[in-house]
Amino acid sequence: MAGSARMFSEHWYRVANQRVALRPGVRTRRQRFRGETWRVLYDPFAHNFYRVRPAAYAFIARLTPERTVEEVWDECLKEFPGEAPGQGEVIQLLAQLYLSNLLQLDLPPDARQFFERYRKRKQKEKASYLSYIMFARFPLFDPDDLLNRVSPYIRKIFSLPGFILWLGLVLGAIKVAIDHAGTLADQSQGVLAPGNLFMLYISLVFIKALHEFGHAFACKRYGGEVHVMGIMLMIFTPIPYVDATASWAFRQRRRRILVACSGMIVELFVAAIATFIWANTGEGNLNALCYNLMFIASVSTLLFNANPLLRYDGYYILSDMLDIPNLSQRSQQQLRHWAQRHILGRRSSTSPAQTRGEAATLGIYGILSGLYRLVVFSGIILFVSKRFLLAGIVMAAICVISWVLVPIMKYIHYLLTDSSLERNRFRAIAVSAVLAISFGLLVGVVPFPSSFVSPAVLLSARQTEVPARTTGLIEELKVASGTPVLPGDSLVRLDDPEWKYRWQDEVALLRHTQALRRRALNEGGTDVSVIDEHLLLMDRRLARLQDEYDQLDVRAPDEGVWVAGALDDLKGMYAQRGAVLGYVINPDEFIAVAVIAQDEARWLFDESGIRRGRLRLYGSAGEPLELGDWTMIPAEQRHLPSPALGWQGGGEVAVSAGEGNGVTALRSFFEVRAKVETTGKDVAMLHGRTGRIRFRIAPEPLWRQVYRRVRQILSDD
Amino acid sequence: MKVPSEDYHRLTVRTPPPPPRGLDALAHQGVGFAKRVGGRRKRLEELVEKVQSHEASLEHVSDRHLRDEIEEHRTAFLRGRGDPDHRTDRALATVCEAAFRSIGLRPYPVQILGALAMENNCLAEMATGEGKTLTAALAAVMAGWTGLPCHVLTVNDYLAHRDANWFKPLYQFCGLHSGCVTEDMDPEMRKLQYEQPITYTTSKELLADFLRDRLRLQRVADPQRRLIRHLLKPAASSREGLVLRGIHTAIVDEADSLLIDEAVTPLIIAQPRENPLLKKAVLAAHDLIYDLKEGTHYSIEMRYRELKLTDEGDEVVESRIQELPPVWRGAIRSRELVEQALTARDLFLKDTHYVIRDDKVQIVDEFTGRIMANRSWSEGLHQAVEAKEDLEISEPNETVARMSFQRFFRLFPRLSGMTGTAAEARKPLWHIYGLPIIRIPTHRPVNRTVLPERIFPERLQKWEAVADEVKTMHEAGRPVLIGTRSVKFSEELAAELALRGLQYNLLNAVRHEEEARIVAEAGLPGKITIATNMAGRGTDIKLGHGVADAGGLHVIATERHESGRIDRQLIGRAARQGDPGSAQFFVSLEDELFRRFLPETLRKGLARNPNRPAVLSALNAAQKSAERQAFRRLGSVLSTDNWLDESLSFATEV
Repeated sequence: MAGSARMFSEHWYRVANQRVALRPGVRTRRQRFRGETWRVLYDPFAHNFYRVRPAAYAFIARLTPERTVEEVWDECLKEFPGEAPGQGEVIQLLAQLYLSNLLQLDLPPDARQFFERYRKRKQKEKASYLSYIMFARFPLFDPDDLLNRVSPYIRKIFSLPGFILWLGLVLGAIKVAIDHAGTLADQSQGVLAPGNLFMLYISLVFIKALHEFGHAFACKRYGGEVHVMGIMLMIFTPIPYVDATASWAFRQRRRRILVACSGMIVELFVAAIATFIWANTGEGNLNALCYNLMFIASVSTLLFNANPLLRYDGYYILSDMLDIPNLSQRSQQQLRHWAQRHILGRRSSTSPAQTRGEAATLGIYGILSGLYRLVVFSGIILFVSKRFLLAGIVMAAICVISWVLVPIMKYIHYLLTDSSLERNRFRAIAVSAVLAISFGLLVGVVPFPSSFVSPAVLLSARQTEVPARTTGLIEELKVASGTPVLPGDSLVRLDDPEWKYRWQDEVALLRHTQALRRRALNEGGTDVSVIDEHLLLMDRRLARLQDEYDQLDVRAPDEGVWVAGALDDLKGMYAQRGAVLGYVINPDEFIAVAVIAQDEARWLFDESGIRRGRLRLYGSAGEPLELGDWTMIPAEQRHLPSPALGWQGGGEVAVSAGEGNGVTALRSFFEVRAKVETTGKDVAMLHGRTGRIRFRIAPEPLWRQVYRRVRQILSDD
Repeated sequence: MKVPSEDYHRLTVRTPPPPPRGLDALAHQGVGFAKRVGGRRKRLEELVEKVQSHEASLEHVSDRHLRDEIEEHRTAFLRGRGDPDHRTDRALATVCEAAFRSIGLRPYPVQILGALAMENNCLAEMATGEGKTLTAALAAVMAGWTGLPCHVLTVNDYLAHRDANWFKPLYQFCGLHSGCVTEDMDPEMRKLQYEQPITYTTSKELLADFLRDRLRLQRVADPQRRLIRHLLKPAASSREGLVLRGIHTAIVDEADSLLIDEAVTPLIIAQPRENPLLKKAVLAAHDLIYDLKEGTHYSIEMRYRELKLTDEGDEVVESRIQELPPVWRGAIRSRELVEQALTARDLFLKDTHYVIRDDKVQIVDEFTGRIMANRSWSEGLHQAVEAKEDLEISEPNETVARMSFQRFFRLFPRLSGMTGTAAEARKPLWHIYGLPIIRIPTHRPVNRTVLPERIFPERLQKWEAVADEVKTMHEAGRPVLIGTRSVKFSEELAAELALRGLQYNLLNAVRHEEEARIVAEAGLPGKITIATNMAGRGTDIKLGHGVADAGGLHVIATERHESGRIDRQLIGRAARQGDPGSAQFFVSLEDELFRRFLPETLRKGLARNPNRPAVLSALNAAQKSAERQAFRRLGSVLSTDNWLDESLSFATEV
């Protein structure tokens, strides 16, 4: 604030005659960043780090309680006139050192302000708690003593032989994993199964504990101190953590990177061992456990820990590799700077980067990490809200407040009151207003193409039912389903075992009657005519039986394509007389019947309603079929047009389990029928094929579309 | 007898809470609003009636009995507000009666109301000429009775001296004494004056003494630590010769000018100190800028009075960097130095911002036209101006202590004040000082006509019109007071008047007493007085014989000021205490307010087509924007101060 690069400061008198120096306990280490030798001041008591530029350090190093600040400053000016800090810079520097408790004073400091500062810091910590609620940390104990005891062994582990051993193991494990690639892939499907979750979590905690000890060991190996170990609630899942920030003061970049990597090194080691065990055991608990260990220690490590866009190990590695400390913070500063300079027109804004390359790196990192964060958090919220609706809503609310509302409020406050905008507040407000209005128009007014999707089934337009004309067991399918048939072609053969007995019965009876007639003729005296009449009756009964026999042979009633119901399954089962065995359908004309949930129903009866619809059949989704000639059936119903749409038939409509053979939907719906244009499409048009229809509706502003989706999510349960 | 606790009380300074922020600020604003519109004034008005009825009952009481009663009230006040005998209405009634008996002035109800408002730590908004001085004295008596230091702060030394003596009989009647501190006094004398229950002085003197006391304390300023030190080593302490006996109550006259207009100007205690480095640099920079031209090498932003090198200018500086002393060769510092030299050359004008006397650059207060001896601009600017004028470069002053009035007044546990114009500044007054405003009605109805503004495209046209108007008024036998923004403008106008053969008084860099005399004469028939806006504040313009019949004093404001309050103060000089009077604004589109606060294009458009409503609304917009900017500056200076305090608290200041 008061600081600037100005040579003289009006506040100089406040510090000029002070005698201050760095506190004796403060340690200094050199670090090279981008060709400059910076110093890191480290306060081992408070575990504070403070990075200073070379010129500033030259000043700080000269401070002693024997000389006043002014004397030291004069000396600096004499010795290196060009680089010596100006008065403003000195004030700022001393202020920051003082606020970091790195200064020794010749007067006891103002205790009241001490407490005030402490109170403010606590308050800030509490406030930041809310925004870090998904990553809350609880420190538990100080592992330094423990680490000191084992440090001789650590030295042996973090050595060249140790590395060779590690490399050998990991490479071996990769080979084993490739050898068992097939089983590996098969088993991966079960990882997130509910039954496995508990074991997965136990493995996670175990591995992350080792991971953290890896950091701690590596930090210890190179002389850092590790004082805090505790539990972090990552998205409400307790996971151990360790504070290895002492490595920030390491002089060598290589070592800082190694400390950041050490957690992953340990995990990969565990993953390697687990791979060997997994490959050499049969199915069982040990095998499953090892599989979980492998999965977490490799996949999760690479996805999360190694990912520089999240603030885990990968971030610190990248930050060290790029030589940009505080990468995330500075990338945000860079974005802010760009916005201030180019959007708000604040020319006095300065970039945190020193070179163009650095600025570009910072900017790209800032944008990528921002987007990534958005994606990850939306994913988490969606995932959680599917399981626990309330928790999801609470999380979403927190996110909206802390990432949308609070920043907007802050931004407005900044626009209206920040003194750095004094010069171009008008432009800043105007540009922001234009941007806000354009965004508002884009989201709230400009209609965007909109659509919704509902399950549908393909039905033939003209179809003739093929019923069983008589009761019988289904014996065989004479013609495969899907074959074109001519009228009279035999389709299904039914078998009626009783018929045979009846036939034999009748034939026996006939023979018996015929024998009776012959005897009567022989013996004479009896009236044959009665018997003849009887015979005539017998003939008729036989003929009827013959008829019945013919009817067991189900024939095509019409020309078309024979579509069997679920006949294959029913083979050998009993078909009641009149039961529909299948259809003979017209292969040229099909209709699609869509089942539309009530949420979307308003579109059906709207003037501008449905503009266009496309049917994609499962299995032929690449070939959308155009639909035309809409007919809405203006009444709610529950009876599905095909059981294939319901849960029991593998569809997505919730059906009542108890009644109606899986065609009674739990919630009523609307039915829409449309003609399917089949010309020129190479899609197997089969009666009863299911698919999804994407209905293109009147364009709607984005916010309405989002609102609709959210409402659907909320009403789904 | 000197008790250790005396030293403790002397040095105890309240730590003002930082101004509320965020939602707290909104709530605080709400409280301020409630205080403003709430029934406070009504309650006080009821109290005024009580005071008056008590006062009536005191009319026939003998002096001795009155003194006895006063003594009772004094001891009650000494015991504090919690005391059952602490009756403000009765006490004030005795003071009013005492005022009548000692100095022959019987306070009007509005003055009683004002005194009550101040007793309640409010800012009383009273029109000019309503007898603010007496109002302050009434409040001062009650503050003095508490035994805690009470400072009445006036606009200048002359008024401090005048008022302290004027009300001495009243204070004595009330068992008190008054002192007055002026610039020319030595520390011994000051100490004596500050020991009085009531001390009249200017805010500058008070703050300077406060800072000097702090410097005398050297290392240990914290009262508790001092107390311990005193108990351990009685001999070592209390030799510092402190002048003040602490700060508690401040009654500020013309509070808005002090608390708002001058609030961020720091009072600096400085001593010259050799700085050869700076001298060389300033001279080198002066040579370097010889070729630099506005537009190509640098650009000027009038609104902020700021100057910036362009890329081309940077290149020139870069190519000639060797001419500068090594310390200044860094990119940022060299630019700073060159920009400063350019600022001295182009933005600081001789006879507007400074004059040269005895081969020395002396700063002119732009608003009052007064030469501010012994003041200098900070951090090399003064030297840069000296280089520009080819004078010997003086040693820069080194600050040893500084504090803004804003910070200083926040230290008072009880702050109250009076002003003619506060309404425009109610937000900062409440936000920063926690001062609510109570508007006091005038004793008699105001009989002032404000004529519609007259608008001119160019400044010279305006002067001509003003001169013509003055002539008309003069011939009608009415006195005219013309307010100008700066000394330069008053001289331009004077020349115009001289052309028309008119006699005038020009208030310009003169002593306060003479200033007050001229202002007092300004009401005589046909008198023409040109004064800068701020000149002669605190003195009444009494109308001469027959002037009231001719229409009273006519005030011409030749420009709209950045702050609407200052405009109101100027026109408020006409028609005081029920006299007739009139006022009129003459505005030109070349005025500073337009130049600084309106976009260039808009200004040119208006000049081409001076449509009256458009100009007026532009004028108001510019004024609003200027006021907002000033308010923001108050806030930002305060937050910088607070930041410094917090982060440099090892370097104890207060």
